[in-house]
Amino acid sequence: MTSSGDLIHVVTDESISATRRRAGRILTRGSFAILVVVLGLQALDALGIVALGFRDWQPTAIAWVVWAVCLCVGQVLIRGEQGKRILFVLPSALLVVSLTVIPLILGIAIAFSDWNLSSRDGPRFAGLGNIERMLNDRFYWNALGNMVWYVLAVVVEIAVAFGLALLLNAQIRARRFFRVAFLLPLMLSPVAVSWMIGKSMLEFRFGPVPQLARALGWDSPAFFASNELAKVTMMVIDAWIFIPFMMIMLLAGLQALSHEVVEAARVDGATAWQTFWRIVFPLMLPVTLTALIVRIIFKLKLADLVINITSGGPGGATDTVTSFIYREYRDRSNVGYGTLLAVFYLVLIVVVLTVLLRPLGRRLRPYG
Amino acid sequence: MLPGTRAAAGGGPVASWVQEEETVRFGLKGRATRGETRHRRALQGAVAIGAATALVVGGLPAAAQDSSAELRAELLKIPGVGAGSPTDADWQRVGELTLGPTRANVAEGECAGVNLTFLGLNNQGLHNFLFRGFLRAWVDYTGANIEWIDLAQADYNGRLQQAIATGTVDFDILAMGSPFEGDTAGRGLLDPMPDWVKEQIDIDDYVDYLKPPVGTWGGETYRISIDGDTHTLAYRTDYYADAALAEAWTAEGHAGEWAPPTTWEQVNEQSKFLAGKKDPLTGLDAHGVVDPLNYLWGGFGLYFLTDRAVAYAKHPDSPAFLFDPADMRPLINTPGWVQAIQDVIDLKDTPGAYPADQLSKDPNGTGFDQFLAGTGAAVMWWGDVGSNARTSDTSVVGPVVGFDINPGADRVYNWMTEAWEETPNRAPSNAYIGWGIYVTNQVSGDELKRKCAWSAAAHLGGKDLSLWTVAYPSGYQPYRNSHFNYDEWEAAGYDREFIEDYLSSNLDSYNHPNAANEPRIPGIFQYYSRAEDILVNGLGSGATAQEIADEIAAAWEETTDQIGRESQLELYRASLGLSD
Repeated sequence: MTSSGDLIHVVTDESISATRRRAGRILTRGSFAILVVVLGLQALDALGIVALGFRDWQPTAIAWVVWAVCLCVGQVLIRGEQGKRILFVLPSALLVVSLTVIPLILGIAIAFSDWNLSSRDGPRFAGLGNIERMLNDRFYWNALGNMVWYVLAVVVEIAVAFGLALLLNAQIRARRFFRVAFLLPLMLSPVAVSWMIGKSMLEFRFGPVPQLARALGWDSPAFFASNELAKVTMMVIDAWIFIPFMMIMLLAGLQALSHEVVEAARVDGATAWQTFWRIVFPLMLPVTLTALIVRIIFKLKLADLVINITSGGPGGATDTVTSFIYREYRDRSNVGYGTLLAVFYLVLIVVVLTVLLRPLGRRLRPYG
Repeated sequence: MLPGTRAAAGGGPVASWVQEEETVRFGLKGRATRGETRHRRALQGAVAIGAATALVVGGLPAAAQDSSAELRAELLKIPGVGAGSPTDADWQRVGELTLGPTRANVAEGECAGVNLTFLGLNNQGLHNFLFRGFLRAWVDYTGANIEWIDLAQADYNGRLQQAIATGTVDFDILAMGSPFEGDTAGRGLLDPMPDWVKEQIDIDDYVDYLKPPVGTWGGETYRISIDGDTHTLAYRTDYYADAALAEAWTAEGHAGEWAPPTTWEQVNEQSKFLAGKKDPLTGLDAHGVVDPLNYLWGGFGLYFLTDRAVAYAKHPDSPAFLFDPADMRPLINTPGWVQAIQDVIDLKDTPGAYPADQLSKDPNGTGFDQFLAGTGAAVMWWGDVGSNARTSDTSVVGPVVGFDINPGADRVYNWMTEAWEETPNRAPSNAYIGWGIYVTNQVSGDELKRKCAWSAAAHLGGKDLSLWTVAYPSGYQPYRNSHFNYDEWEAAGYDREFIEDYLSSNLDSYNHPNAANEPRIPGIFQYYSRAEDILVNGLGSGATAQEIADEIAAAWEETTDQIGRESQLELYRASLGLSD
């Protein structure tokens, strides 16, 4: 231990022997070499160049884990205390690479393959074949078109959610009860909602909602029979589940507002409407935009309701990109094409959100 | 029985069809209608019934009347008709009582140390759950150990296909539907059935359509059947006993009597006639057949268009009706199929012919939300509708339901000569063919393990044990000729008239000489699924029948090319039993 110099940041001043450093390097590089060799052998086997009888890619996975462990140990051996600090980050980074980056790279590779699980030939490189197919796939573009409508519905949802949040923020009777009651739809499983509402309450013949509609003079209350009504009904059910989510975010934002500012506006003679538009709404903008973006992300993943209630019908009117990919992957075992659709959708979402967030970014920061 | 439907919970044909209850439920009108129906069916299905009659009505073969008669009667008393749902103790008892054939072929303790893995379903607490109970006595006797892989129906296809595609088959015994034989047997992943197993399970007792080529590839047998599947017509007898409707039918100048339809042309004519009239049971709007116009159902929805199409497109001179066995050219855009699609479009465009929400109805909706709840004069479905008609709490049609095989057509399109033939045609649609037990090639290198695996499979597919599974909730329907000995059902407490009406519609379909059995090629449900998308989209967008059919054909060509045309053609021909 040193008694002079930077005593705050240097905890130890251990001298690491050359032998120890060498051992660390051998461990790290050796395990990496093993990984490369195993990966290479498996690749040669998979390509049919050398028959080594590997049944799966487990040896490479094991070699990867061994290398990761050796890399961590090696850091300590080579760098000592500095290496221990690296261990606060390195395992997490390796985990992220293992579970996110590598699967993403493999996913992109699969996306450019022609891989149907029923084909005896296994995966084959498809070049741009899947992209060409996607561009000509009217069912996919129909689903994407539907997504535009679904996303636009979020504007209405946020307005309703804001109204409810204002209501629950006000001094009304049974406020706690209503807060819990309004949150209930969010607590329900969308699959359960699909059956309870989509398949039962809205059932044309015996459902209570159509019966009420008949009593009110609507002769044929079939909520999923026409394309437009089916889409709107799906939007309403989805909104019913997720409006509470936005509402609770907005309510938290409202409760965090400075009372002094609002009271000052009133003292200055602002009406309730002016107070809302000139004071509350601008201050709530960061929270509102955050709720909006998170909700859009949820909306872009809409699938469970559609799969359970309409399977995308009638005539593809309620289909979503995710439910279409689900059919392409599960029902048609079309791994290559299905993965490409998913990757393209991911890229599309990232691009749209980036474009959307750039101008909004400044507004997302409270108080400028 | 089709898995994953509500029917699976009801299981085999109706444990509560007790004679006593029937006396109360059946009106005189209902009896007369069913009597007429049977007479009509006897005339229409003479060819089909011929072979079966010798087995069923005229007396069972000696094998079925041997000393097992007492055992079979005893089995049917576990737990007894109307005595509630069977439990694990009942399943174990059934497995114990039917262990005789195993004792004859495997010595006690012979499988000690053998570990077997069994992949199957866990739908509705049936399937593998029953198998565990059935195999309890087998495990105790042989000494083998069984590890179970239980899968939900929705996970089954993905798990199986991934195991095959990635070369990670990790199960020795497999419960599987016949359509997947192309994916497994076609790739050499299954172990051929030893001859002693064929004898133990009395394989000759199977109904005709479960005999080769079903269950076989390249001359080898792979399948122990435990189930049979077919689509039959369930119709409302009260519609046809209604004097006012009969009078209106005549008054409107329709040809023939007001009677259950025997052709799809009649189905459409009656559906149009019923538009605007009232249902005799519910007093609500009357409708004819209820087609699932939202066909999207994971590939299974196409079966319901196939029901209509095979009447026009399944020519008796060829087993093929989906693809040309010469080059895998889709037949779905030939005039027979196009006529079937046009029939659906005609009804869709006739106001009131279908309920207003029909475009949103999938097959589960037509069978359970509509027909059993009193909407529609008829529906095509698996046996589930029949078994649920009287047991489901939501069914209101129990006393007024009758059954028949798939309606036919007044003419048939011969795709081989590319011309219509003006001759009546009838072709039951044996949709899905049913579940079976298969042994994988994981055991092929170990004779003892192989013997034990086949012994376990044979125990589950045993003749006597199967009588119990088709009579009680199990997820399986009758599939052996010996299952249609109505005396056994009656002795067990079932109502003779109802059970005979219901089961004979299945038997006549199974043994029909022009039955449409789907090809067991790899990825068959991929074809169906793509067709569903196009069909639903076309019905919604107003496309013509020919446009819809052409688009499906193009999609099928694409699928065939992707999977591999040559291999598909080879397997398709093999599945049809055609030689090179």
